[in-house]
Amino acid sequence: MQEDYINIILADDDEDDRLFFTDAFEEIKITTRVKTFNDGVYLMDYLNTDGIQLPNVLFLDLNMPRKSGLECLREIKQNEKFNDIAIAIYSTSASEEDIEKTFIKGANIYIKKPSDFKTLKKVLSEVVTINWQYHTNSMNKENFLLRF
Amino acid sequence: MIKTLSNNISFLRTMLYLSAFVILVVGALTYRSITEVTKSSEMVTHTYKVNVELEQILSNLKDAETGQRGFIITRDSVFLDSYTSGRSKINNSFAELKVLTRNDTLLNTNLIALNGLINKRLIAFQTSYSSLPKDDIDDPAFISNFRDGKYLMDSISVKIKSIVSLQNNILETRKNEYENDLMATPLLLFSLLLCSLVLMYVAYNNIYKNIKKLKATNEALEIFKESTNQSEIVSKHGSWTWNVKDNVFTFSDNLYRLVGEQPQSFKPTIENFLNYVHPEDVEQLSKQTEQMKENVELPYIYYRVVHKNGNIKHLKAYGKSLINEENDTVLLGTTADITDEIMSFRALEERNMELERNNKELSSFNYVASHDLQEPLRKIQTFLSRLEDEEAENLSSKGTKYIDRIQNAATRMRLLIDDLLQFSRSNKADKVIEESNINLLLEAAKQDLAEVISAENAEITSDTFPTIKVIPFQIQQLFINLLGNAIKYKAEGKTPKIVIKHKVVDAEDEENIVKPKKAFYHKITFTDNGIGFEEQYAEQIFTLFSRLHNKDEYSGTGIGLSICKKIVENHSGYITASGQPGKGAVFTVYLPID
Repeated sequence: MQEDYINIILADDDEDDRLFFTDAFEEIKITTRVKTFNDGVYLMDYLNTDGIQLPNVLFLDLNMPRKSGLECLREIKQNEKFNDIAIAIYSTSASEEDIEKTFIKGANIYIKKPSDFKTLKKVLSEVVTINWQYHTNSMNKENFLLRF
Repeated sequence: MIKTLSNNISFLRTMLYLSAFVILVVGALTYRSITEVTKSSEMVTHTYKVNVELEQILSNLKDAETGQRGFIITRDSVFLDSYTSGRSKINNSFAELKVLTRNDTLLNTNLIALNGLINKRLIAFQTSYSSLPKDDIDDPAFISNFRDGKYLMDSISVKIKSIVSLQNNILETRKNEYENDLMATPLLLFSLLLCSLVLMYVAYNNIYKNIKKLKATNEALEIFKESTNQSEIVSKHGSWTWNVKDNVFTFSDNLYRLVGEQPQSFKPTIENFLNYVHPEDVEQLSKQTEQMKENVELPYIYYRVVHKNGNIKHLKAYGKSLINEENDTVLLGTTADITDEIMSFRALEERNMELERNNKELSSFNYVASHDLQEPLRKIQTFLSRLEDEEAENLSSKGTKYIDRIQNAATRMRLLIDDLLQFSRSNKADKVIEESNINLLLEAAKQDLAEVISAENAEITSDTFPTIKVIPFQIQQLFINLLGNAIKYKAEGKTPKIVIKHKVVDAEDEENIVKPKKAFYHKITFTDNGIGFEEQYAEQIFTLFSRLHNKDEYSGTGIGLSICKKIVENHSGYITASGQPGKGAVFTVYLPID
C-alpha cells in the first residue's frame, strides 16, 4: 500500500499558506497524503517519533517562529535516518542569501511561493513527481531555484 | 656651513704657521746681522790693534835709532837704554802681533818679511856699534853701515806702511761687504714685516668674516629654534634627549606644555615626568623606557598623561638612539599629543558602528520589504486568482471588473515592492544606463498613475523629450513619484495641473548645480498648482521618511522624494524643489549630458 501515494509534509506557520497547500493537493490528480505542521519544533518532534512513516517530500518554510526552516534543514541533514527525504524550500522570498544558504545545507529544490493558485498547483505537482534520484545527481545551483 | 668653518680654521692655522715662520726668519736675520755687526767691529778693532802694534814697532825702532845716534854722538851709555828697551818692546809687539795674526797667512808672511827687515836693522845697529872706530864717525865703513841702516829703516817704514795699507784695504773691502750685507738686512726685515702685516690683515679679515658668518648662523639658529618651538606648539609635539650614561635629560618647552605645565618648570628627569603619566600607564612606560636604553630603534610608545586640571591627554613617543662624540648613547625622542586623532578616530569608529547599524537596519528593512510585505500581497493575489477561477459564475460583471482592477493594483504593488527593493539594494553599477525614450517612460508612468489621474481629473502637459542616457526603470519611477506627489498634494477645490518642461542648459548658468561634472544638463521641471510648501522645507523634503504633513491629512511613507533624490544622484544629476504655500511647487531635475 505504501507505493500508492506520495507522502508529503509541509512545515509553515502561515495558516493561509497551509490552506492553499492542502487545497492544491486535493485538486491535483495525484494520490498524496499531506501533513502540515505549524512550525519547526512540531515538525522535528514528529519526524523524531518512532514508527512513523517518513515523508517522500518535505516542504520547508524558512521564516517560522521557534525553529526556522534553516535549523530544521540542518538537523535533518545531520541525521542519516532522513537521508531519503527530498527537501523543498518553500518560501515567500527568494533572496540570493537564502538560496545560497539552503543550497549549501543540502536542500533539494527552492520554490518561491507563487502568487496565483493555478501556478501553485502546477508547481506542486511538478515537484512531487520529480525523480529525486535523478534530480539530486544532476543538481547544481542553476536548477536549484525552481522556475515557473 | 660647518664645512666652510672648518676650511676657515685650517686657513687660520696656515696663517698662524706662516706668521710664526716669518717671525722666526726675522729673528734669525736680526741675530745674524747683530752677529755680523759685532764681528765687523771686532775686525776693525783687530785691524786697528795690528796697526797700532805696527806703529809701535816703527816708533820703537825709531827710538832705538835715536838712542843709537845719541850714543854714537855722546858715547854715553844712557842712550843705549832706549835701544835695549826698544828692542824688547819690538819683541813684545811682535809677540802680540803673532797672536793677533795667527789666522791671517798673508799678514803673517808680511810680518815675517818685516821681522826679517827689523832683524837686519837691528843687526845693522849692532854692527854699527861694534864696527864704530873710537870716536871716528867719519870712518867710511861706518858711514856705509850707517847709510845701510837708514835704507833698512826706510824699507821697514815702507813695509809697515804697506802692511797697514793692506790691512786698511782688507778692512775697507770687509766694511763694504758688511755694509752691503747690512743694507740688505733692513730691506729684508722690512719686507718680512710688511709680509707679516699682510698676513695679519688677511687673518683678521678672515676672522672678521667668520665672526660675521657665525653671527648670521647664530641668528638663523635662533630663528630656527623659535620656529621649531612654534611648530612644536602648533603640531602639539615635544622633543627630548636622554644621555643614558649620565642619565641626563633635556625637555623641549612644548614637552612641558604637553603635560600641562609651564616650560622648564620642573627638572627634566624620568621620575618627574612619570608623575604626570596616567597611573595605569606608568608601569608599561617605565618598562618601555628601560628597553629604550638597549635598543637602537623602538616602536611607538603610547601612553596617557593627566594634567593638573584632570584632563587626560594621549601621547605617542618615538625614540632613536645615537652615539655622541664621547661615545655615550644619547636617545633623541619626539612626543606628540594625539588626543585629537584618538578622539576623531573614536568618533569615526562610532560613526562606522552607526553606519553598520544603519546598514543592518536597512537590510532588515529590505527583508521586511521583500518578505513580510510580499506575503500579504501574495495571499491577496492567490485568493483573487481562486475567486476568479472558482467563483466567476457567482460574480456580476461589475464584480469581475473590480476583481480585475484589484488584480492590476496588486500586480502594480508587487512591481513597486520589487522595484523598491531592487532600488534600495542596487547601486548604480548594477544598473545599465542606456539611451532611452523619455517620452515612453513618461507615458508608462502616466499609465501607472492612470487611476489616480482620472480620479483627480489631473491635467498633465509635457514637452517632447529627446532620448537621454538613463536607467529606464528608475526614471520611470522618478516620474511616477513626482507626478504622484503633485496629484496627492493638490490644492483644495482645484484640479491638479502639472506642466513638465524640458530644456538643455549650461551648467554655469544654473545656481542649483553645484560643482558640475558636465558642461550641459537636461533641465526637466515639474510645475504644479498644488498646496506647495514653505521654502524652508525645500531641502528637508528629500530626506528619508520626512513628512511635512500629518498622516491623517495625506497618506505616504516619506520615501518617495528620497527615492527621487537617490535616482537623480545615481544619474550624477541634481534635484531641487521650490514652493509657495497655496500656489504650488516646482521640482527641477538636472540630468547630465555626456
